Amino acid sequence: MSVHNPTLLSSCALAATAAEARFRITVPEFTRRSSRVIALDARAAALVKDLGGRSWNGGHFLVFESAVPDDALLRHAGTGGTALLSEELEGADTVVMIASASANAEAASIIGDAAAARAIMSAGLVLPDAAAGGDVVSALRPNAMVLVVLRDTADVPEVLSALRV
Amino acid sequence: MLKKEINDLLTQTGPGTPMGDMFRQYWIPALLAEELPENDCAPVRVKLLSERLIAFRDSEGRYGLMDEFCAHRGVSLWFGRNEEGGLRCSYHGWKYDVTGQAVEIPSEPDERHSALCAKIKLKSYPMVKIGDVLWTYMGDPAKTPDLPQWEFARVPSEQSFTSKRWQECNWLQALEGGIDSSHVSWLHSDGLKSDPLFKGAEGNKYNLADRKPFFEVVESDGGLMIGVRRNAEEGHYYWRITPWVMPSFTMIPPRGDHPIHGHFWIPIDDENCWVFTYDYHPTRPLTETEVQHMKDGKGVHNEFVPGTYRPLQNKDNDYMMDREAQKRGDTYSGVKGISMQDASLQESMGPIVDRAKERLVSTDSGIIMARRKLWRAVEELRDNGVTPPGVDVTHQAVRSAAVVLPADQAFIEGCAEALRVRPGEKHASV
Repeated sequence: MSVHNPTLLSSCALAATAAEARFRITVPEFTRRSSRVIALDARAAALVKDLGGRSWNGGHFLVFESAVPDDALLRHAGTGGTALLSEELEGADTVVMIASASANAEAASIIGDAAAARAIMSAGLVLPDAAAGGDVVSALRPNAMVLVVLRDTADVPEVLSALRV
Repeated sequence: MLKKEINDLLTQTGPGTPMGDMFRQYWIPALLAEELPENDCAPVRVKLLSERLIAFRDSEGRYGLMDEFCAHRGVSLWFGRNEEGGLRCSYHGWKYDVTGQAVEIPSEPDERHSALCAKIKLKSYPMVKIGDVLWTYMGDPAKTPDLPQWEFARVPSEQSFTSKRWQECNWLQALEGGIDSSHVSWLHSDGLKSDPLFKGAEGNKYNLADRKPFFEVVESDGGLMIGVRRNAEEGHYYWRITPWVMPSFTMIPPRGDHPIHGHFWIPIDDENCWVFTYDYHPTRPLTETEVQHMKDGKGVHNEFVPGTYRPLQNKDNDYMMDREAQKRGDTYSGVKGISMQDASLQESMGPIVDRAKERLVSTDSGIIMARRKLWRAVEELRDNGVTPPGVDVTHQAVRSAAVVLPADQAFIEGCAEALRVRPGEKHASV
């Protein structure tokens, strides 16, 4: 063990106090997160369309439409316009896939692979559906760094908010 | 990221606060049984949920937990005399039984004595010994739940060991460390190779070979099951699954045949908490060597300032930071021991961290969901009187697990039995 210095202004005993918390820098130089929330099936799409109408930190709310060669076609939940997955992932740093029981593995695989190839953080939210949850989880597992199996759809906006979508 | 009002809601546990009301729905650890080792032993001051209390064990072995201060002049009963069936204030001799009822007021004339005594009762809470722990319930007596059934406290005493330590920060940021599985590969990377209560397990090789685990968070009746998977043999994953039961119980996944361990985080006040740390084995006594390691601060236990429950490494000595050990790679952060590696960083956040400033990432999903579940349970209790998860003793019948499963199998299905208490059966561990 090293020699211990007396308590000084920079020591833990003082540095970790509530009083010292007043001096923390309050204007962090963070660039705003650039998130893509993508519904993988019709039920998830309805939720994403609803969420897309709320106020967020610049996140894009999208619906998986179909696979195309080496890419995927997405539809913006708000405008209804389409975009390629590869275009949407330009500059993105977070991808959140939302799926219910009818989600197909192909969509998860395409998006997950594309995110992984670009070193983009990926997560999957599985909507409540106890009967088929296992299948959805299996489809998403290889393609998302984190999977959350929910019991309440109302938790989705809270999770997205915590991630600063 | 958490708004200030929600952060306040979850971190404030004093009387009359919503989260305080929720903690008062549960039997919670109050003291270690060793703190009141014999009848008529010295009373112990203890603060829980921002209430100053005095604990004592009377001449007949009954445990009492009540308002620390004498009803007469507000003197601390810690200075009292524990004798002949009650705790007597050393100022004027007022005496209380374990329910807080005044039983003697010597200065009053005899004829007024009993009538006055009957009107004086200190606020008190029930306290029972189960395992190595004295448990209390600080809520409405009419809603007293069933006694706790946690397996670590219910196995024969030779199969279990519990310690406690003072942590100098809010309970929630301490708890969040217990469900934040992503820090283990970094902060505690030294422990797997050297700690006698971890090393040697077959599963350790998966931890060391794959430092970028994937996470799966599944809601359970009592809280969450947080699964962390790493690559194992072809077509298989190594899963480590941590149960969190509301409000503040966690169990760390086991390693080989080592005992299972975990924590209870109990608010002292809003800027301090007790960390009760248990180790137990479901099917065999702990060996003398294992118990000695635990007493020596190995595994998830810690060393203490002699005669106290304050960690030997604490903020006043910079946690005995050893930069040379950090450079050598003996420890990742320079702080020795898993529990103090965690505590040092959690305390460095400040007494109550401002969660509006944090930048969570997807691997923090366990923390996000735990907060969400706490938040929802607090509101449900406050607005609708709904009993929160974890009160029902069936929610307490959980185990952690460390298993290898086929790649396409959901851990919640593959480990359905392993994650439940099975009396007399060994835990699932590789």
